[in-house]
Amino acid sequence: MARQDTAPSRDHAGRWARYAVWRRRGGSRWRPVRTILICTGLAAYAWVVATTRPLTGGSLIGVLIPGMVLGAIAYGRPPERIPAPERLDIRGISYWLICLALLFEWEASAWRDNSLWWHPSLTNLINPLIGPQVTKTTAILVWMLAGWGLVKR
Amino acid sequence: MNLISTRAVTIAGFVAVVIAMIVLEILGRRPGSRIPTVGEWLGYLMRPRIGRALILLGWWWLGWHYFAR
Repeated sequence: MARQDTAPSRDHAGRWARYAVWRRRGGSRWRPVRTILICTGLAAYAWVVATTRPLTGGSLIGVLIPGMVLGAIAYGRPPERIPAPERLDIRGISYWLICLALLFEWEASAWRDNSLWWHPSLTNLINPLIGPQVTKTTAILVWMLAGWGLVKR
Repeated sequence: MNLISTRAVTIAGFVAVVIAMIVLEILGRRPGSRIPTVGEWLGYLMRPRIGRALILLGWWWLGWHYFAR
C-alpha cells in the first residue's frame, strides 16, 4: 500500500531478522506519552461502550466508530506495516487449518442444535463471561487493539 | 446427569481447541519454527486487498456480534 508493502522472502530462521530490518527502517517508534494517552482514551471509550445495552443504537454506534476509524486508517492513511511472509509452510499452516476446522465444526454443530443448554455455542459460553462491566470493557479494549494489530499487518 | 456430561463435553471441546491454538502460537514463536504465528498467517492472508478487507470485516463482525447484540 503506502510505504512498506513488499515482504522479504520467508526464511524460517530469519523471522527476527526481518522484524529487525523493519524496525531499522523506522517502523513503529516507541512514543511512551502518546501511547499512554491513546490507551487511556481507548480504555475510557471501551468503558462507555460497555455501559450500553445490547441491541440498542448506542451499542451499534459503539462498535461502528472503531470499525470506521480503523477502516479509514487502513485504506486512507495506512501505518508502516509489518512485512508478511511471501509463502507459508504447508505443513505448518495445516495445523492451524485443522484447529480452525474443528472450532467451526464444533460451533456449527452447536448452532444446528439451536444452542441448547446441553450443547452451547461459543457465543453462549462467552456472553456470560463478558457480562460484568470490567470484563466487557477489557474485551472491547482487546478487540480494538486487535483491530489496530490487523491494520499494521 | 447425561445432560450435564454432554454440556461438559461440549465445553471441553472448545477448551481443547483454544489450548491447541495457544500451543501452536507458542511453537510458532520458537526460532526456526515452520509453524506460522497468527500474525504471520493473517498477514499472509491480508497481502491482497480483498483479503485485507475480508479480515477487517471479520474483526468488525466479532465486535458487533459480542458487544452490540
